[in-house]
Amino acid sequence: MASVAARYEELKELGVEVLSCSVDSQFTHKIWQEVELSKMVDGGVPFPMLSDTGGKVGSLYGVYDEEEGVNLRGRFLIDPDGVIQAMEVLTPPVGRNFSELVRQVQAFQHVRKTGEPTPAGWQPGKKTLKPGPELVGRVWETWKIGD
Amino acid sequence: MSVKVGQKAPDFEANAFYEGGFKKVKLSDYKDKWVVICFYPGDFTFV
Repeated sequence: MASVAARYEELKELGVEVLSCSVDSQFTHKIWQEVELSKMVDGGVPFPMLSDTGGKVGSLYGVYDEEEGVNLRGRFLIDPDGVIQAMEVLTPPVGRNFSELVRQVQAFQHVRKTGEPTPAGWQPGKKTLKPGPELVGRVWETWKIGD
Repeated sequence: MSVKVGQKAPDFEANAFYEGGFKKVKLSDYKDKWVVICFYPGDFTFV
């Protein structure tokens, strides 16, 4: 959570709200914020830390591990219509890559604004594709891996 | 997985710690906004 908190401003600039969620109580979140997070990130975690005791929310999203009684590392990007546009679920020992989250947000926002699909590895300012019958079999003419 | 991309995110309500206090958070409070929900195994873990 500290890694997301540290770069929260980047998401805020993109108009993205963040909610974190674990099975810990809101009281545990408070203590974690006070004794640890606030020392790792200036001001601590700036977004709501949700308490999901019993894993009800995690179960709704398919990330609650009943055997361990915890939520897996699941990340869900939801658009302004409330539709899930992206999701990624990792087992506990591997952390997420914040930069990829930002890239995905930028790509989905670009698609929503322009309707232009973004090819693999797209970053803002890079080429997009204009789908249509004339593009079929001819992507190689307009886009190369690494573009 | 009980959810899919391209489908509506299920609404929920949960207790939260936010800005030094306790409050209720509903996903539907964030209508018309981009939202990222990050689930993680537990407080005091750092991967």
